[in-house]
Amino acid sequence: MKYNSIKILLAAVIFFSMGCKKFLDYKPQGALSASDLTTPAAADGLATAAYAGIANDWWDAPITSMWEYSSIRSDDAYKGGGDIGDQQQMDKYEQFYLVNSSNNGAGDFGFPGTWIRAYGAISRINNALRALHNLTDDEFPERTSRIGEMHFLRGHMYFLLKVMFRNIPWFDETLTNDEILQVSNTMSNDELWDKIAGDFQAAIDSLPETQPGQPGRANQLSAKAYLAKVRLYQAYTQDDNYTVVGIDQAKIQEVISLTNDVINSGQYALNSDFAYNFLDGHDNSPESVFAIQYSINDGTTIGGRLSMSTSLNYFAGAPQYGCCAFHVPSQNLVNAFQTDKNGLPNFDHFNDVALKDADLTANGVTMDPRIDHTIGIQGHPFKYDPLIPYDHSWERLAGVYGGFGTMKELQLASCPCFKKLGPFYGTSVNMDVIRYDDVLLMNAEAQIQSTSGNLQTALNEINQIRTRAAASTELLKKTDGTFPSNYKIDIYKPGVNIPVWDKATAFKALQWERRMEFAMESPRFFDLVRWGIAEPTLNAFFAVEKTRHPFLSSAHFTHGTHEYFPIPQEQITFTNGLYKQNPGY
Amino acid sequence: MAFLVTASFAQQKKVTGVVTDKKTHSPLAGVTVQSKKQMVTTDTSGRFSITTAVGETLVFSYVGMKALNVPVTASTDNLTLDLEVSESDLTQVVVTGYKSERKVDLTGAVSVVNLSTVKNSTTSSPMLALQGHVPGLYIQTDGSPTGGNGGAPTILIRGVNTLGNTNPLYIIDGVPTTRYENFANLNTSSISSIQVLKDASASSIYGSRASNGVIIVTTKNGATDNKTHIQFNTSITRQTEKPWQEDLLSSYDRGVALWRAAVNDGTDPNNTVNQIYRYDWNGDYSKPALNKVLIAPFVGATNNNAPQPPYDPFVGPYSGTDSLEPAANTNWQDALYKPATVISGDLAISGGSSKSGFLMDFGYYDNSGLIEFTRYRRYNAKINSHTSAFNDKLKFGENLEISRTSQVNSTTDVGGAPTPELSLTLPPTIPLYKTDGTYGGPRGAGYSDRNNPVDMQYLNRFNTRGQLLVIGNAYIDFEIIKSLVFHTSVGFDYSDALAKNAALIGDEGPVRSFNSFGQQQAKDFTITWTNTLSYNLQFGKSRLNLLAGTEAIKNDFSTFGANTTVFALQDQSYLQLSAGVGAQTNNGSASGFRLFSQFGKAFYGYADKYLASFTIRRDGSSRFGTNNPYGVFPAFTLGWRINNEDFFKGINFVSNLKLRAGIGTVGNQEIGNLSSFTILQPNYGTSSPQFPLWLNTGSAYDIYGVNTGSLPSGFVQIQKGNPDLKWESTKETNIGLDFGFLNETITGSFDYFSRKTSDILIQPPVAAALGEGQQQYVNGANVDNKGWEFVLSYNHKSARGFTYAITGSASHWADKVTSLPDNVRPAYPGDANHSIVGHSRFSIFGYETNGIFQSSQEAMDAPTQPGVLDGTLAGAGRLRYVDIAGVDSLGHLTGPDGKIDANDQTWLGTTLPKIEFGINIDVSYRNFDLSIFGSGVTGKTGFDPIKQLNSFVQARSNFGPGTLNAWTPENTGSSTPALSLLNHNGEDRISNYYYVNASYFKLRNVSLGYNFSKNIASKLKMESLRIYVSGQNLFAIKSKDFTAKDPERVNSLALWPVPTSYTIGLNANF
Repeated sequence: MKYNSIKILLAAVIFFSMGCKKFLDYKPQGALSASDLTTPAAADGLATAAYAGIANDWWDAPITSMWEYSSIRSDDAYKGGGDIGDQQQMDKYEQFYLVNSSNNGAGDFGFPGTWIRAYGAISRINNALRALHNLTDDEFPERTSRIGEMHFLRGHMYFLLKVMFRNIPWFDETLTNDEILQVSNTMSNDELWDKIAGDFQAAIDSLPETQPGQPGRANQLSAKAYLAKVRLYQAYTQDDNYTVVGIDQAKIQEVISLTNDVINSGQYALNSDFAYNFLDGHDNSPESVFAIQYSINDGTTIGGRLSMSTSLNYFAGAPQYGCCAFHVPSQNLVNAFQTDKNGLPNFDHFNDVALKDADLTANGVTMDPRIDHTIGIQGHPFKYDPLIPYDHSWERLAGVYGGFGTMKELQLASCPCFKKLGPFYGTSVNMDVIRYDDVLLMNAEAQIQSTSGNLQTALNEINQIRTRAAASTELLKKTDGTFPSNYKIDIYKPGVNIPVWDKATAFKALQWERRMEFAMESPRFFDLVRWGIAEPTLNAFFAVEKTRHPFLSSAHFTHGTHEYFPIPQEQITFTNGLYKQNPGY
Repeated sequence: MAFLVTASFAQQKKVTGVVTDKKTHSPLAGVTVQSKKQMVTTDTSGRFSITTAVGETLVFSYVGMKALNVPVTASTDNLTLDLEVSESDLTQVVVTGYKSERKVDLTGAVSVVNLSTVKNSTTSSPMLALQGHVPGLYIQTDGSPTGGNGGAPTILIRGVNTLGNTNPLYIIDGVPTTRYENFANLNTSSISSIQVLKDASASSIYGSRASNGVIIVTTKNGATDNKTHIQFNTSITRQTEKPWQEDLLSSYDRGVALWRAAVNDGTDPNNTVNQIYRYDWNGDYSKPALNKVLIAPFVGATNNNAPQPPYDPFVGPYSGTDSLEPAANTNWQDALYKPATVISGDLAISGGSSKSGFLMDFGYYDNSGLIEFTRYRRYNAKINSHTSAFNDKLKFGENLEISRTSQVNSTTDVGGAPTPELSLTLPPTIPLYKTDGTYGGPRGAGYSDRNNPVDMQYLNRFNTRGQLLVIGNAYIDFEIIKSLVFHTSVGFDYSDALAKNAALIGDEGPVRSFNSFGQQQAKDFTITWTNTLSYNLQFGKSRLNLLAGTEAIKNDFSTFGANTTVFALQDQSYLQLSAGVGAQTNNGSASGFRLFSQFGKAFYGYADKYLASFTIRRDGSSRFGTNNPYGVFPAFTLGWRINNEDFFKGINFVSNLKLRAGIGTVGNQEIGNLSSFTILQPNYGTSSPQFPLWLNTGSAYDIYGVNTGSLPSGFVQIQKGNPDLKWESTKETNIGLDFGFLNETITGSFDYFSRKTSDILIQPPVAAALGEGQQQYVNGANVDNKGWEFVLSYNHKSARGFTYAITGSASHWADKVTSLPDNVRPAYPGDANHSIVGHSRFSIFGYETNGIFQSSQEAMDAPTQPGVLDGTLAGAGRLRYVDIAGVDSLGHLTGPDGKIDANDQTWLGTTLPKIEFGINIDVSYRNFDLSIFGSGVTGKTGFDPIKQLNSFVQARSNFGPGTLNAWTPENTGSSTPALSLLNHNGEDRISNYYYVNASYFKLRNVSLGYNFSKNIASKLKMESLRIYVSGQNLFAIKSKDFTAKDPERVNSLALWPVPTSYTIGLNANF
């Protein structure tokens, strides 16, 4: 007994003094550390994740569709929804009474969340770039292309932040976290544009002209198209009050040259029917220069990497839908589709009378056919299905927002691309970031703004767009084979249906054409700010529109403030005031 | 009658006897002996002599001893009585950390829970029964069976030191666990003692996990009297939320409020909510008069056939296939809530001898659910046993608790709104049922995308969460030489939770397009190996206790889940993973931690006057960075039992006086297991936890444009590591005084503490520019916490068996963030100019209001703010925000700047109370006992969700009757701002308009019991039998500013109201 006691005691003492380093060793399970990501496959995986990063959103804070930030802030659309307070942050955007970013009233919903998501995507891109830089072309033959793609994606995210917030912190993959936290948002406007352009130039320098079989990837031509877009925005020189004070001719020339490269490459073309840009089965069509790729039934948790940023926009009362009727076309936009006796836009009197259901018939006022691709009108086939005529009963708050419905971003419930998720809806139809029609119109705009530009080329390009629009009526027919509206559209014929094609006329035509072509697709507000005409356009819009929709009675746009969102207050706090707030907020 | 007559003429007789201590067999002096006529005390040799009568009962009482009742018969005389030490006495032995000690020797801040408070509790957990009873222990619950809708209630010991997890550490029969359910699932009758270790000097022996306090629970382990004891308890409780139901508007009145809001906004009310309400009014915005509200007689416009125009819900169905339903006037609270029945019972069997003993305990608890289709059920069994060998040199034992819970909780609707909230906000015009008997819901224009909450609970009815818990240990005590004991224990703590999630297709409102069924399993296993060596030494007047030990803890956690979509039937029996024909997904993960510790403890006592204790623990944790895995936690305490001093000998009214002081350090490791690592994961197609149904956060992408099938995927960073991560530590000073006067008639204690927590573990939000997965845990902030606790009891025993005890307790604590690294600051309220440093972490940061603008002119003259002048009232009736400050060009705060903006925010109070207090009254008279308990808080500021519901209108929801009394030009006295659907003044911002004083007092429990006399009990072959009735949560007194009926319904409408309950129960001992 005594002997045993001593043994146990000894054992206890040994145990007490035992080292325990090994026991404390615990490594993460099912995870990787940065040092594991040195293989080509891992770097490629980081690049794939970066692509996913530019598409990971839904309507709470989108980084894909800009309808909340552009369409409803412009003269194209109203917020819509269940009432004015439904997603009130958007009402604040629409009516320009956002006090400041900490009074957003919806947490990270809206632009503060978009800021977070866009920089989240940028961090994926920078991670991929760091891994790619550590490889050689021998180890990974696609390395150069991937580097170019990452520059493209980063340029895309910064562009989005730039047009929303204007003054943003810019940095690349060479900075450490500590260094990133020292980067303010005070870089000059022009320098910032150059940085963004620099990414696209780097993309052009390392990308192959095409990426056969991999339509989701950026290529050299898509980078050229995007760089053209950047330079076009940059060309309208803004002062600190957001007033456009000049046109930078060098940038304009760059736009012409870049878009010419794309146009002359022969890789892209307009679809025969405008409708294909908004229909399932036409993803990555010849017109799509760069698109966000969506998919369905792909094994992901929610049942698909679906397009969810517009999922609020289905109708509350429509068959198979049920929510939430956001993004309602404005009366002004409906009127804007009106054409004159020559089939040209009714520039000066389009908004004299509010067009109602009775005006929008086969015998009614003459219309640009793109209205029936864009806007749901009582009794007209909805989304190219003559058996489902659009009906006012689908509208949710007819007394406030009623009259018309959005259409381009929606898909029929019967579409195999469509999935219902709770009260919301997603589709696998891609979202185009740049289309060929945009490339043509960018070229046209640059030709018009250039002191040495070719107005004839601009005319041809605008007319190409109009010719295609005129030819895009086949899918719009009702069950009886008749058209729901009285289509009349023609190309511009100087000396025939317009007196002269001078610079002023051409620019007016260009601006109108962009609105028609991309209506409800959201570049509108950004276009207005770029052109420096947001304040006069919107206040004129409110002045008339509030007589038709009294909820707009307090809406007012202030030049020098409302062109851009405020910097999210939390981001200023997180950086201890390093970021400077935009003026007026 | 005959009995009474006999009694009154009973013969008087003298009874003599001697009273001794049952344990020491020494005579007891000063024992009170009572008869009807007389009260005497025993002399120094324990003798007494008293006049009584046959039929009477003699009551023997002595402080610290169990009172004894002796019936007087004709033969009663020359009594020899043993009095037994009562459990609540100072000599009680309590477990405080690997060792038991006498309560009188305690030098730290330890609350020994009076178990009578939990004995007849009808709550699902002994913890809930402690609410308000233990000073310094703060518990905040909702009305769900578990107090936290399936989870744990908020439990704070001496407030909050850390910024992260605040759950205390539980030590159940020596097995450490942080799982609340391990304590919650214990039958109260199997609990032998509960100690709450509040300060660092008491708890530092538990080192790294003790900073949130430690709750030590010891369960019973048999009897020593060679008898078998059977105890049976049962009760049945009825719960109702009716007394706490909020008033809401009827269908008609809701229309009136919406009309007023539209008129105020200058919008045509007939165009605002015209699918539900139309108005017969004078159309005059300056002098509006409403004649009649017309309610759309039908709800719903849609079915799967395209409706034919013109559609008008005021006209009704326009074709035979349309499913329009008559509008209703539904009380959604009545619809969602039902009275719940709670049945609980437990049977404990124990027995044993001086060598061996056992306890078996079986319990059952069933709460039928206050909300439709919810339920909470539990079965549990406990088996404790011990035996000894080799002349008691070797002791073996085990403790085992197995419990199985199954619950269906409240749920959310298809869009994510919790059903308790929907019962307050869903418009009353929606019918609960359609005419065909199926659930009605919001359909068609004018309604929101919210669902019928009862339908949602119905569709959620198969979503059971089952959990199997096993906790216990096996141990050996080996007395190596006299007083030197080696103790080894292997403890285990196992949880196997299985959550079933059936997302079914309903037929109202937004419905799912496909159904799905998933199962998610989580297994968590912790094994704890504890070895201690203890030595007790007594020499002269000195006592020395020594303890040294090691502890190794290994935790492994794994999850595994699968989900299938598209089921042909929505039956519980059909919902099996293989029965679905749609997409199938699965997931799984593993994690864990290791903890290795060495510790020691020394106690020295001299002459029962001077006490000193020293503890130290060194912990190593796998949760910390490779650079700092170890932490050392020492503590030192002193005690002085002043009443044992010679100079106190003559002072008889002081029966106990002890001064305690201690300092110590404890740690905290409650962060994620892998917090020190940088982690990248191949997240193929995960979705955001915030929006799991809608938001992809994964790394897969359709790069090939094939639109479906398996996608290329990559890796994403989800966390940034920190190899320097180390322990968070709390240094605490505690000074306490325990006292007892007049033979312990008055007892109490007072503790003052001050604790400083440093290197707080926190994962601060980072500037978005850093990007995804860049958040890391750091040791950052420091927090100071000061407070006091006070408890005072008065025990009175009078003649004729009338005794009563009143206990009052109060505690106070206040925290203050003393330093916060810049990168952590944004995690807390405040902004660049208003740092949380110097304020409680529970501070509310927002705007001050100062009444309502009585005229448009007032609003125009006031500091500017966009939108305030909008609408026909042009600012009249709007909330007036106080212009506090602006900023200069450098961003520094200035004085008022004439405009209301973010710079005008200020501190509005704290959400945790300044003082928590409780009062408990126990009365017993003859066979009756009565207990009354209430508790409350003061100095708490809370968000009053009901005030919001009574102030603001929305076209899509319902609201309270307060909106009918809102400000109008005719009703200027109102403190409710003018109704508006526009809210251009941003009145939903955080302000003291609805962050108000949330102090309250609640009468939590009144219980009346009747003990059957021994005669009757023995006729029933019982030792004792008691029946009782009780009521819980009977009424509340609250601050006038707080308008919710239930003052505990604070911050959110999503909480279950705490119901009022009535219980009838029985305790039987065989």
